[in-house]
Amino acid sequence: MSPGTTTKHGRPRAAAPAHRRGPGGGGATGARRRRAWTPWFYLAPALVVLAGLLVYPIYQLGLISFLEYTQAQVSGGEPTTFQGFANYSQLFGDSQFWEVTTATLVFAAVCVVSTLAVGCALAVLLTRVRALPRLALMLAALGAWATPGITGSTVWVFLFDPDYGPVNKALVWLGLSGFEDYSWTYDRYSAFALVLLEVVWCSFPFVMVTVYAGIKAIPEEVLEAASLDGASHWRTWRSVMAPMLRPILIVVTIQSIIWDFKIFTQIYVMTDGGGIAGQNLTLNVYAYQKAFASSQYSLGSAIGVVMLLILLVVTLVYLRLLRRQGEEL
Amino acid sequence: MSRSRARLRVRRPWRLLAEATALLVAAVVAFPLYWMVLSAFKPEGEIQSTHPRPWTTSPSLDSFRRVFQQEDFGRYFLNSLFVAVVVVVASALIAFLAATAVTRFRFRFRTTLLIMFLVAQMVPIEALTIPMFFLMRDLGESVPGIGLNTLGSLIVPHIAFSLPFAIWMLRGFVKAVPESLEEAAHLDGASRSRFLWQILFPLVFPGLVATSVFSFISAWNDFLFAKSFIISATENSTLPMALLVFFKDEGNDWGGIMAGSTVMTLPVLVFFVLVQRRLVSGLGGAVKD
Amino acid sequence: MCNALLLRVSMKLSKPPMLSRRVTAPAAALVLAGLTATACAPSTSDNSSKNDEKTGTMRVWLFREVNNKPKEDVVDAAVADFKKEHDDVKVDVSYIPVNTRAQKIKAAFNDPKSAPDLIEYGNTDTAGYVKDGGLLDISKEFGAWDEAMNTDPTTEYSVTIGGKVYGAPLFVGVRALYYRKDVFKDLGLKPPATQDELISTAKKIRSKRPNMYGLAVGGASTYAAMPFIWANGGDIATEKGKFGSNEYDAAIDSADAKKGIKAYSSLFGNDNCPAAKCAQWGGNDTVQAFASGKAAMAIAGDFNHQAIEAGKAKGKYAVVPLPGVKKGQVAPAFAGGNNLGILKSTSHRTLSVELLKVLAGKKTQTKLFGAMGFLPTFTDVRGAVAQQDPFVKPFVKTLSDSAKFVPAHPGWAAIDAQLVLPTMFQQVVSGRKSVDDAASDAAKKMDEAFAQ
Repeated sequence: MSPGTTTKHGRPRAAAPAHRRGPGGGGATGARRRRAWTPWFYLAPALVVLAGLLVYPIYQLGLISFLEYTQAQVSGGEPTTFQGFANYSQLFGDSQFWEVTTATLVFAAVCVVSTLAVGCALAVLLTRVRALPRLALMLAALGAWATPGITGSTVWVFLFDPDYGPVNKALVWLGLSGFEDYSWTYDRYSAFALVLLEVVWCSFPFVMVTVYAGIKAIPEEVLEAASLDGASHWRTWRSVMAPMLRPILIVVTIQSIIWDFKIFTQIYVMTDGGGIAGQNLTLNVYAYQKAFASSQYSLGSAIGVVMLLILLVVTLVYLRLLRRQGEEL
Repeated sequence: MSRSRARLRVRRPWRLLAEATALLVAAVVAFPLYWMVLSAFKPEGEIQSTHPRPWTTSPSLDSFRRVFQQEDFGRYFLNSLFVAVVVVVASALIAFLAATAVTRFRFRFRTTLLIMFLVAQMVPIEALTIPMFFLMRDLGESVPGIGLNTLGSLIVPHIAFSLPFAIWMLRGFVKAVPESLEEAAHLDGASRSRFLWQILFPLVFPGLVATSVFSFISAWNDFLFAKSFIISATENSTLPMALLVFFKDEGNDWGGIMAGSTVMTLPVLVFFVLVQRRLVSGLGGAVKD
Repeated sequence: MCNALLLRVSMKLSKPPMLSRRVTAPAAALVLAGLTATACAPSTSDNSSKNDEKTGTMRVWLFREVNNKPKEDVVDAAVADFKKEHDDVKVDVSYIPVNTRAQKIKAAFNDPKSAPDLIEYGNTDTAGYVKDGGLLDISKEFGAWDEAMNTDPTTEYSVTIGGKVYGAPLFVGVRALYYRKDVFKDLGLKPPATQDELISTAKKIRSKRPNMYGLAVGGASTYAAMPFIWANGGDIATEKGKFGSNEYDAAIDSADAKKGIKAYSSLFGNDNCPAAKCAQWGGNDTVQAFASGKAAMAIAGDFNHQAIEAGKAKGKYAVVPLPGVKKGQVAPAFAGGNNLGILKSTSHRTLSVELLKVLAGKKTQTKLFGAMGFLPTFTDVRGAVAQQDPFVKPFVKTLSDSAKFVPAHPGWAAIDAQLVLPTMFQQVVSGRKSVDDAASDAAKKMDEAFAQ
């Protein structure tokens, strides 16, 4: 165990008043004022960087989505003009946009659920095995985690290649002769399934390691008590472990939503920029195609803004639900 | 350890089954990586064979040679390492300060800020490349070190994109350090900055390592900024650019891609294995209260 | 304008009820801070340069080829020629990877400081780059260049937008029909003389040799599909009104064009090239299939020669022009290739033109053909090399009989990038849409792009 954790648990709480929160600690007004400014002082570097390099570009993104802004405007060939909501109405009038949005939402939801299920199941599994299998699984997972997105996607496509990939050969060898020459990227759903596999492969390690760390941090006595009471595994999980793991599960869920909704590299690389006739496009790839392939930066930005709003709504709804159940941020 | 004894009080056959499952899953998860390394070592004609075999009888270093013999490959490697290390250190320090502020102080806009840090993570980076491009170009006019074509133009945006997540993750970890500790330090006459750097910082360190993993990966694996911001200064290219050379219109050089990928993945894996234990305790600490 | 915009942005943000105030207030504050710090509108670049320096360093970007060394040697020799007359100028040539060229060149337009003076670019990109304001108009210099007299009109068309010349053609590439002599001999077949014969020959081969594709075709291999449309009398788009108006109407949904689409689509299927595989293929995949001996025929370019020589098909193939609808006709082929252009932002205008003339001149083009097999764009030079190398004859014949070019309109770049034509073919061959629906969808998207 690391020194950090030992101290955290090992050191008895001092007798000092535990609820000494809020400004001031009974000192002079000067000290109080200093105390009030301290957090902003600490926050300053982060806020400067974020305001300059994140908020400002986001503001520009919003701005561009209201302009006519193609490569010609960017390089000064033509003047920029204000378009109002024209880009948005063009976008909303395009049936492909709605198709892509639906696909994105469904695909992201499936990715989140699968990743969480696999990650949690393997985390529980990790607590039930001895050191060697645990190390093996942990290393394999870290390997998947460490692989760059573009590399992972390329390797997976290669594994499932109809001509050169070992997966189809193995399936045929197992007696599934339908997979002879089967092209995974031709059918819309099998292409999405292939991407899903890769996404789960590279994102379950985060969930697994985090949840495993969380389970390990549950005090032994609690589990022991449950076990002495004769609770079944499922019951122990449901009524003891799950509630204690809630904060962790919240974090991994939010992160998975954020990441899976923005999936880019996997779709772009594995389906060759969005699949046959654009059947595998997701919003992020769609935006990129609009902005960079066709140089319609304003449309691309409008899609970016829509994505941001959808994510915002999803996450805020989730946070509200949590808050209603008494969870603090 | 009494701790593990209780946990392992699982009946034997079940444990064996669990262990077999764990090993099987490990094998499946590791298989793509194995195939990547294997393909890197396969000789030219064998990679694209209609009878793929999970082994090779005549391993060859040709693919690796093609990777390493690229002009300036060593330089790309060092550039990548430099960028990643600066991003990790800078974002860890900045995030540590910010996380301390939002967890150990109550002030106006605290919740708002927290939500903004969360929202900031939702921004699709790909969509921001254009505004970022102009921002870096214009910044370069006044601060030459971070303009386009410099390593700074890779470092600065990555710090910005790593920060929100790092702050969000570190929060729980800072929170876990008891308030009483600060009281005690204060009574002992320690100044606030002394408490911050000599007491809080070491305690939060495992959490910093855990979050560093994320910023390291994002900086190390980045193609997008490297492709967009390093325009004519090839001496400032990074490792992913050396990999991109093997993706060609006329058909990919699979051997080169696999060898290049192996070379790129290896340092991250080593980093991971080194920090693995801290990562586990860090992530555990970061999210529980 | 900016304030109204800001208001709308914050209105959008204030949708979720509870957290609205918390999010909006600081967001607006930060936005305001950003506003006061910098100008309101997003950045643009000023590309025009007034300088015309006669010394210093010139930067040249050329495409990196698979086997780049011979190209480098030719270019080095040409640069050495140039430096004989300008010994106080440094010429810095870099070879950029083809698949990142779009970003690189756009970035160069956006950041004049890192931009090169001279670039190589694909000839279908001309109109787009001109609209982007990136290329320099060199009509005067081109007109005064003695060698330019012999430039093939099709290639000159590919550097000309609205009557102005934006570069010099460097080489031209054209596709013809590669076929396997051994397979044809075994099966007692003759090279097809009409389009119908081509299709029936392909299917006959597939039925006799089930492991082989008759004619390798790709749903995303647009330039190999275009000849089918042209041969049937159709067109991609037609110029509105009189020639030179530079306004286009999509013609892909005309009856003749649809005949061509049907003919090309009929090649996808288990009786020639199964849609499950071939629908996703691009031009290079079909070349790969032919080179590795998996296809008996392929529509490939003179520029694919090296790749095919490196494969299993080496020494077993011959090339004929792609047949048209009637006997004796050659199906019009797309005249691809690359041009050299000067960037508007150059500070060495005079020198750049000089260097351009050397690099795209007859001497260099002759050497490039020898080193890389790139077909020259000067008719006299091309005729001379065809005499020496019988391999290029079918390609030269195609070029002189009936080469065509895509609409020289900036919208074409967008049509190309949005994969309008590949999408259309893929929809048809995968059975998702009828030829009529797919073609009219494509025409609609093309008209949108032309209108912008």
